[in-house]
Amino acid sequence: MPIRYDADLARFEAACTVEDALPLAEWLEATVAPRVDLSACTDLHTALLQLLLAARPAMTAGPEDAFLARYVGSALRLQ
Amino acid sequence: MSELFDQFVVEAQELLETAGGALLALERDPADRASVDELFRAFHTLKGASGLFDMAPFTRLVHAGEDTLSLLRDGRRGMTPELADRLFRALDQCARWVAALEDTGALPADAAQAAETLVGGLSGVSAEGTAGGGEAAGEADAFPWVTALAGEDREAVGAVAGVLTAIDYTPDPECFFTGDDPLALFRRVPDLRLLRIEPAEPLPPLAQMDPYRCMLRFRALSGAGVEAVTPAFRSVPDQVRIGSVMLAPAAAPPSANPIAMAPPGSLAAAMLEEQARILDLPGSAAERQSRSAAVARAVAAILTALGRPIDRAVVTAVCADAGTLRRFLADGPPENGPPEKPAAAEARPAPPRRALRVEPERMDALMALVGELSVVKGQLGPLVRRVGDGQLTRDMKAFSSRLDALVGDLRHAALRLRLLPLARVFDPLPRLVRDTARRLDKTVELVLEGAETEADKDILDVLGEPLLHLVRNALDHGIEVPERRAASGKPPGGTLLVRAFQDKGGVVVEVSDDGAGIDPAAMRKAAVAKGLLAPDAAAALDDDEAVRLVFAPGFSTAGSVSDLSGRGVGMDAVRAAVERAGGRVEIASTPGSGTRVRLSLPLTLSITRVVVVEAAGSLYGIPVAVVGGVQRVPRAEIRGVKRAESVVLRDRVVPLVRLRRLLGQSDDVGRRGNGGGADCVVLVELGDGPVAVAVDDVGERADVVLRPMTGVLRGLRGYAGTAVLGDGRLILVLDLRELL
Repeated sequence: MPIRYDADLARFEAACTVEDALPLAEWLEATVAPRVDLSACTDLHTALLQLLLAARPAMTAGPEDAFLARYVGSALRLQ
Repeated sequence: MSELFDQFVVEAQELLETAGGALLALERDPADRASVDELFRAFHTLKGASGLFDMAPFTRLVHAGEDTLSLLRDGRRGMTPELADRLFRALDQCARWVAALEDTGALPADAAQAAETLVGGLSGVSAEGTAGGGEAAGEADAFPWVTALAGEDREAVGAVAGVLTAIDYTPDPECFFTGDDPLALFRRVPDLRLLRIEPAEPLPPLAQMDPYRCMLRFRALSGAGVEAVTPAFRSVPDQVRIGSVMLAPAAAPPSANPIAMAPPGSLAAAMLEEQARILDLPGSAAERQSRSAAVARAVAAILTALGRPIDRAVVTAVCADAGTLRRFLADGPPENGPPEKPAAAEARPAPPRRALRVEPERMDALMALVGELSVVKGQLGPLVRRVGDGQLTRDMKAFSSRLDALVGDLRHAALRLRLLPLARVFDPLPRLVRDTARRLDKTVELVLEGAETEADKDILDVLGEPLLHLVRNALDHGIEVPERRAASGKPPGGTLLVRAFQDKGGVVVEVSDDGAGIDPAAMRKAAVAKGLLAPDAAAALDDDEAVRLVFAPGFSTAGSVSDLSGRGVGMDAVRAAVERAGGRVEIASTPGSGTRVRLSLPLTLSITRVVVVEAAGSLYGIPVAVVGGVQRVPRAEIRGVKRAESVVLRDRVVPLVRLRRLLGQSDDVGRRGNGGGADCVVLVELGDGPVAVAVDDVGERADVVLRPMTGVLRGLRGYAGTAVLGDGRLILVLDLRELL
């Protein structure tokens, strides 16, 4: 399972695909103050990205993957 | 303006030379970052410098080259031999233009067209790419968000204003169902500079959101060309717009003050601001340093062009960082600015060593005087000997030897004035080898050794053409194609070694290859087939002599005549040129493992060392360069067949000629008492084998200043010229190659 849910913290690991979209949407909706950890995420599907953009959970750690760090991490911190 | 122009011509020549060298290195090792950077800098500097003058095609071409190199530098395009060809062609064209600029002050009329063709070749031949570039300005309107980019984003783009590729991608909302991942596509965009991810419509509250519906929109900028970006979006052509945009320099960069040094809004102001931006770019200390030097040059040139020349040291100092440069440009030169003073003093470079240019005629006159002086000095020795013994003689001898030493030193110093490193004749070789090897589909590594060896400028002039020819020849006939090399157990790539070194008063250049070598049997057969030799004469040649047939006029060794090495006149021409200069050519070849050609040349043409010989009461000189030895041969050992005589010397049968007969003098050998039953023989090594020259007597060896025949004697063949000996006697110096 690429996304591990641990109470209010979701850890994104390795390549997170469109399969994770529905569980993530449900978890984001159900969690009061969701936090996400993207540090181990190597690939983030657009569907997940747009859920994060919509829900704007607190990000405990940004992605370490160079591409995600440069273009996605900033998009999630801004707005 | 004219001085600036001259400076441009000189700088451009240097830059093109540097660029050529870097390109060769880069082709050999595509991972060579230093060469990419060097090449890029050369193109970049050329672009900036040429922009100051009215030469749009030049600027356009080097700009295209710079773009190509920036792709290379960022790894978005790989180095291929084809690309190297195109870059070489661009460099060649620039070199021709610079030559034309130097001559006529303007580019040739067809420059624009030539630039267009080369630019097309550089931009990857695709019509799409060319079209994208052409529409650049027009398409900027199609991406309004690009022009509206805020300062921060501009910084992220990191563009030194220029052409970028804009991507506007609004994925189909249903795209997730077809397996698309829009974000992933951008991982494949080369040189992605900026990616903005925005909701295409305001996002609904999470509860009402359909996680499988794409609601995002992507906008991106890439430094790569349209043709390089397009493939990433091949699967979604209907959802994406890609086009070139010109990112104008930010209207008001955050830290910039208006530039007071140039009229606001002018090209010069934009260029000056650009220089400050270049200083802002990240990079290693070395990169920054070289950038700041380039910027200083550009700023100085721009200011001079604006009619506001500034002391170079001041410019260098203010170009240390962007802030200082901007302040300087905004405030103008410091009138009495104490803060700038110490910096300027510190940065002032040591006065450059300036080469002194002397007319060649003056050098020649000096050399002639030195030559005469050594000859006159030579006359002192015999005079002193005639004085007899006594204190006066001892004093004169001491004086004479001091004079000897001084004249020797003077001659040495004068000779050194004319010495240049052989690098001058080596320089064109890497490019020649590269182009030739490519044309022949061979892999050849060129190894140059001893480029620092020095020789007289005249000798270098003599050496240039033959060397090119030998190298071409080795590539064409010597080194085999990779398949054949592999079949004979050699590495597929050949090695060509060109080595220069100093050797007993002369300079030697060797060209060796590890190719097929020359087959003596084939040489004999070819010589007979071409009617150069009778079958029995050919059979009598030993292997070395057979190999030396390549120097015979009208000989071609290759099975087929190629366009490269000509038609067999080449090696003969090489020999002729080298021997004319008093030098010698030798060849050694081992079938299957390679050939070595050795050119030995005197250090200078101004002073020739000769062996003085006597024939029929007159003195003649034979250049030492062709003399292999001098010895007495008992007359009994000279075998005569009719009038043709021969002698065995050093285990070789050598034809013997009599100098008297050659010169049309009386040949009354018997009456000569001298030698008592033996002949004085000078062994002369000419290109096509040794010849024994019988003379009446052999005298000293002497350094003489050779004066070519002039006036009515000019047409006289067989003589290299006249010379005066140390004791004042006149000799004729023989040109034995002509004479025999």
